[in-house]
Amino acid sequence: MISRFFRALGKDLHEIGLTFAEGSWATRLSFLIMGFGQLVRGQLVRGLTMLGLEGGILFYLISFGWNYLSDILTLGTVETHKEGRKTVYGDNSFLILLYGLLTIVIIAALIFLWRVNVRQNREAELRLKRGKRLPTNREDLASLLDKNFDKTLLALPVFGIFVFTVLPIIFMICIAFTNYDVNHQPPAKLFTWVGLSNFKELFGIGGEGFGSTFFYVLGWTLVWAFFATFLTYFLGMAVAIMINKKGIKLKKLWRTILVMTIAVPQFVSLLYVGKMFAADGLVNGLLLKWGWIQTAIPFWQNATYARILIILINLWIGIPYTMLIVTGLLMNIPAELYESARIDGANAFQTFRKITLPYMLFVTGPFLLTQFIGNLNNFNVIFLLNQGNPKSMSLAKNAGSTDLLVTWLYKMTINDSNYKIAAVIGIMVFLVTAVISLVVYNTMPSVKDEEGFQ
Amino acid sequence: MKKILAIALALVMIVALAAPAYAADNKAVKVWVAENVVDFTKAQIADFQAAHPEYADFVVTVEPVGEGDAASNVLTDLDAAADIFGFPQDQLARLVAANSLLELDEEVAKQVAAENDAGSVAAATLGDLMYAYPMTSDNGYFLYYDKSVVSDPSTLEGILAGCEAAGKSFYYDLRSGWYQPAFFFGAGCTLTYDTDSEGAYTGCNIDYASDKGVGAMKALVALVKSPAFVNGSSMSSATNVGAIIDGTWDAGAVKETFGDNYACAKLPTVEINGEAKQLSGFGGFKLLGVKPQTDDDKLAFCDALAYYLASGEVQLARYNAVGWGPSNLEAKASEAVQADEALSALGAQLAFTIPQGQYPGEYWGLAEGLGDDIIAGKYADADDAALLAALQTFQAACEAAK
Repeated sequence: MISRFFRALGKDLHEIGLTFAEGSWATRLSFLIMGFGQLVRGQLVRGLTMLGLEGGILFYLISFGWNYLSDILTLGTVETHKEGRKTVYGDNSFLILLYGLLTIVIIAALIFLWRVNVRQNREAELRLKRGKRLPTNREDLASLLDKNFDKTLLALPVFGIFVFTVLPIIFMICIAFTNYDVNHQPPAKLFTWVGLSNFKELFGIGGEGFGSTFFYVLGWTLVWAFFATFLTYFLGMAVAIMINKKGIKLKKLWRTILVMTIAVPQFVSLLYVGKMFAADGLVNGLLLKWGWIQTAIPFWQNATYARILIILINLWIGIPYTMLIVTGLLMNIPAELYESARIDGANAFQTFRKITLPYMLFVTGPFLLTQFIGNLNNFNVIFLLNQGNPKSMSLAKNAGSTDLLVTWLYKMTINDSNYKIAAVIGIMVFLVTAVISLVVYNTMPSVKDEEGFQ
Repeated sequence: MKKILAIALALVMIVALAAPAYAADNKAVKVWVAENVVDFTKAQIADFQAAHPEYADFVVTVEPVGEGDAASNVLTDLDAAADIFGFPQDQLARLVAANSLLELDEEVAKQVAAENDAGSVAAATLGDLMYAYPMTSDNGYFLYYDKSVVSDPSTLEGILAGCEAAGKSFYYDLRSGWYQPAFFFGAGCTLTYDTDSEGAYTGCNIDYASDKGVGAMKALVALVKSPAFVNGSSMSSATNVGAIIDGTWDAGAVKETFGDNYACAKLPTVEINGEAKQLSGFGGFKLLGVKPQTDDDKLAFCDALAYYLASGEVQLARYNAVGWGPSNLEAKASEAVQADEALSALGAQLAFTIPQGQYPGEYWGLAEGLGDDIIAGKYADADDAALLAALQTFQAACEAAK
């Protein structure tokens, strides 16, 4: 992989050298003034685009980008200070980092454009040498709606993804290596690079580190995702099979009743159910009234109760979804398979284990994986039911016993402005989901044996 | 590919160049106050500008931003934040640590300190610098009760007996780091943090892990065992209330529920280590802060306007308009304020409280941890040694949180 990269780079450099060595004076001047060669050859559209881009980018770099880029190694040195009672703001680390990164990306784009420019010159010269004519300006423009229509169409989405997704992600990753927190908030305070110290703090056990809290939260996140995914999956399947069974009456009614939970927005139902289990909620109220208990059961204050309850409530929300999906798939399994199994004397459990389950796992494998990943980041259920509570004195940084990494991250940014650790946790969430996705995806039957059920 | 880049880069540059071109108009002043005082504040600002023609050219916009949100918004984006904003005093250290508040002029600070009650002045001061103008002195909690249910509101035992007999609930939020200290402070414990004038925490003074603390713990554990006890402090989400420990902001909701049986009192006493101890708690305040300014004229206007909006006259007018209890000594002494039932209960309670200072974010989580354990019944049968051990854990964590 690395050797391939260097080989490609070597080839590229060779071609650039060749372009310069064999090129005309116009081509050689294009190395400095992009688009010059194209203009001389009459390719006005290409030439002007290149020239305009180079001019624009250089103007941007000199007038704006360089100010930020030059400070990116320190993220600013001029502190905000007071002159009398007036405040004079110094450097803004946040903007330095943001625009510095943007400038780096734009410089990379300039290098790429320059390479494209050199190649255009080379190609034009080769064509002319072979006695072919160059595409006219009209043809160049027309190709944008014809041969190069894909590029025209993709321009806007690619730009959008870059500005709204890629740049923020790079920015967020960089924050993990700075000390951007409540005591270092721009514009009034500077923050700076601190290397790996945030990672040390997050993973460190004892002393300044709060590794025990991190691994506790990570552990519960995985346990939760496992139960939330597989319990809803298998129970949903069971419900679907039961309803599908021959001889069950009012199938449509049962399905409708179950689907009702989907019809009510989760926000409403979760908040409502969360309140139901409060000390003064419906459940405790009834139990007290019937005399089954003397004092209210602390559903949301006891870590074990809270965890079990969250998983159960999630079942109630999740089962109907799985049931809907599975119902459709069940009808897809050829009836002959079941018939021949029955003739061979297989009982219901055997047909389920040998026919239904393998088929289901095969077809819904990717769905299960996305469910699992979704549950790792299932903010709604946790936050709406009990905000990650109960708290514990042994957990650091306001983590609660049912907090997922993502809800913990949310609290950290919103309540404590602890952006540096939040960024590290963000990276960890990404790593966990990436590793699980890659490993599971590559071992899934639907990927390994694509034709298994055809 | 080059065409894509052409468009993409052109747009990137437009975005990048346009972003910093925004310049604040130095005659535009933005004010953030809670929604229910927006109209009131607008009217007051108009009066102020009419009385001071030299400030007539400033254009003031008033936006509704709740006090808790205001502090967070200021911390998130100082550029876009209001020039003058109201916030609860527990956010002071956070705001100062981020350099988001302009300290008062020394002479003005002396004057403000003389005009307002000592608690509110202390709450607006960090180290030896005063960072905000006290606006109210009503952020405390006291007892609301239903006269037909509770006949003896002076002791916790009496309140619980009344509620239990009537099958009603007694609401107290022992999970919250704000309400929880009522028991510990009442038992004689202390928990305060020291800050320097930069807003950084320098020390923690806590003695929860002591006989006094264990006594308070026992009282809390006993309280949780009562069938009438429900953890909570929000009247709007409470059901079947007999008595609730809550603040002035819920007075309307409580009045609606209790009707003619509406009554308020200072917090009750509770038996701790064999003695009747008065429950204590925090006295809280709303403050008005000014964002650091880069322009001298605007700075002068913001200073003058903030001083005016927090002056005794406006505090009294604000009480009359929306019922916010004043911190200004003269306004406090006025007849209207003296006659207010909820405010006088709060006034009686404030004599037993400490002005709420600054607490680090982690403290609130730790208090919830202690509260959750108590409510979950973890200490239901614990002996003194186990309670002391729990408090030692809590104390050590609080000390580490500074």
